[in-house]
Amino acid sequence: MYPRYRLILRTCALLALMASAFAVKVGEPAPGFTAVDSNGKQQRLSDYKGKFVVLEWHNQGCPYTRKHYESGNMQRLQKEWTAKGVVWLTVISSAPGTQGFVTPSQENDYLKTMNAAPTAVLMDPGGSLGHLYAAKTTPHMFIIGPNGTLIYNGAIDDRPTSDQSDIASSKNYVSAALEQAMGGKPVAEAATRPYGCSVKYKD
Amino acid sequence: MLAIKRLCSAIAVLLLLTSAAAIAQQGPNQHAKVELIARQVAVTPGKDLQLGVHFMLEKGWHIYWINPGDSGQPPSFKWHLPPEFSVGEIQWPRPERLQPSKELVDYGYDGEVLLPLTIHPPPAIGDRSAEFGAEAKWLICREVCIPEHASLHLTLPVSSAVGIEQRHAQLFERTDKLLPQRLPSNWKVSFVSAKDELQLTIRAGKPITKAGFFPLDPGQIDNPAPQKLQPTSTGAKITLKKSDLLVKPITILRGVLVIPGGPAYRIEAPVRQPIQ
Repeated sequence: MYPRYRLILRTCALLALMASAFAVKVGEPAPGFTAVDSNGKQQRLSDYKGKFVVLEWHNQGCPYTRKHYESGNMQRLQKEWTAKGVVWLTVISSAPGTQGFVTPSQENDYLKTMNAAPTAVLMDPGGSLGHLYAAKTTPHMFIIGPNGTLIYNGAIDDRPTSDQSDIASSKNYVSAALEQAMGGKPVAEAATRPYGCSVKYKD
Repeated sequence: MLAIKRLCSAIAVLLLLTSAAAIAQQGPNQHAKVELIARQVAVTPGKDLQLGVHFMLEKGWHIYWINPGDSGQPPSFKWHLPPEFSVGEIQWPRPERLQPSKELVDYGYDGEVLLPLTIHPPPAIGDRSAEFGAEAKWLICREVCIPEHASLHLTLPVSSAVGIEQRHAQLFERTDKLLPQRLPSNWKVSFVSAKDELQLTIRAGKPITKAGFFPLDPGQIDNPAPQKLQPTSTGAKITLKKSDLLVKPITILRGVLVIPGGPAYRIEAPVRQPIQ
C-alpha cells in the first residue's frame, strides 16, 4: 500500500508543478497528464497520441451541466464524436463535500442512468487536472489535436444560459472545431469564454 | 432632528419590507427577493421615468454584473410595456470582485443591489395608469448556483405632476453613487499592449494609490491575475494580464475604474500595439 500512496503523492506533486509551469493556450502543446478513471483504470493523455481528445469538465448538480445532460445534448455529442474516433474524457474536479463530487461507483450509475457515453470519466477530487488546464466552469471544453496541440479552449456553445430551450438555436463550438480540424482546416473559433458554474475546487 | 431622522429611516425600512413582501409570482424557496420599483410616484407623458429592479439577496449568496467574470451569468429581463413606451439599458452599479477559487474571479453583487433603467413614455398617454412588467431571470450562487426567475409587476398612475416616491428615494440615491461616472475632463487613460500584459496609464493630475479595473467585455483580461498598481506623480500605471483565451489582439478596452472609497468611472480607450 505504502509505495502506491507515494506514487499518487508524487503524481499530484508533479501535476501541481506542471500547473505552475504551463499556461494552457490554443496552438501550444497540451500539458500531459495521468489520471484514474471511474473504473479505476489509469488514463494517460499520451496513450491517445494520434487521436483527437475532448476534455469535458463536469458537475452533475450544476444547472449548466444539467442543461446539456437532461436535454441529451452532451450524450449525443459524446456518441457522435466517439463513433468518429474521438476520445472523450469527462473530468470531475469537484472536491469532496462540494457539489458534483461523486464516488466512482456513483459516477458509473449516473452514466448508466443518463445513457452517457464518454470514453472515460477522470476522477479529479484533488483538482490537480483542473488546475493543470485552468478549467474554470462546468462545462468547460478543451480539444487536443492528434499531434498533442491544444486546438480548442472554451464554451460548449454560444448560448451562455441554463435553459434547455436555447440548445436548438445555439452554435456548438466543439462540433464546429472538430469538423474543421478533421477536414484539415484551421479552427475558426479556437478560444471562447467558457460559461457555467465555477469548478468546485478544494482550493 | 436626529431622532426624527432615525424614525424616518425606520419607517422607510418598514415600508421597504412591506413592499418587498408584496411581490407576487415568485417561485418558493428562492434565495433572492426581487421587486420592480419606480423613482417617481407617477408617469408623466413625454418625461423620462426611472424604474429599478431591486434584489435583496439571502446572506452568502450573490448575483452577477454585466460581465460575470469567469463563471456565472448576468440577470436578464424581458419587458412588457404599455404601447409606445420604450426602455433604456440597465445601468449597472459597480461590481465587487468575488473569488470562488484561485483559478476564478467573478464580478457581482451580494447583499442588496438596485439595477436602475430609464423608461421613455410617449408624449401623450390615453390611459389613467401604466402597467409595467418584467420576466426576470437571474443566476444566484453561493457554493452552488441556482437559476431563479420571477414575474415583476408595477402599476403607476399617469399624471402631469412629477413627484419623487419617498419610499425608494434613499435606495435610488445610494445607487446613484455606485453608478460608474464619466471620467473627469482633465483625466486621461490609455492602454498599451505588451507581450502577455496590458498597461493602463491613468493621468489624473495627482497620484492614485488604489484603484481596480473591471473589464466590461469578457475574455480579454485574466480575471484572477493580481492587478499591479504603481502610483505616479500624475496618476497610476496598472498592469493587467491578458486572458489565455485571447486569440486576436485587443483593439479597444472598455471597463470600469473603481477608486476604493471613492467614485467609479467608465473608461474606454484604444489599445496601442507594441512597435515591432
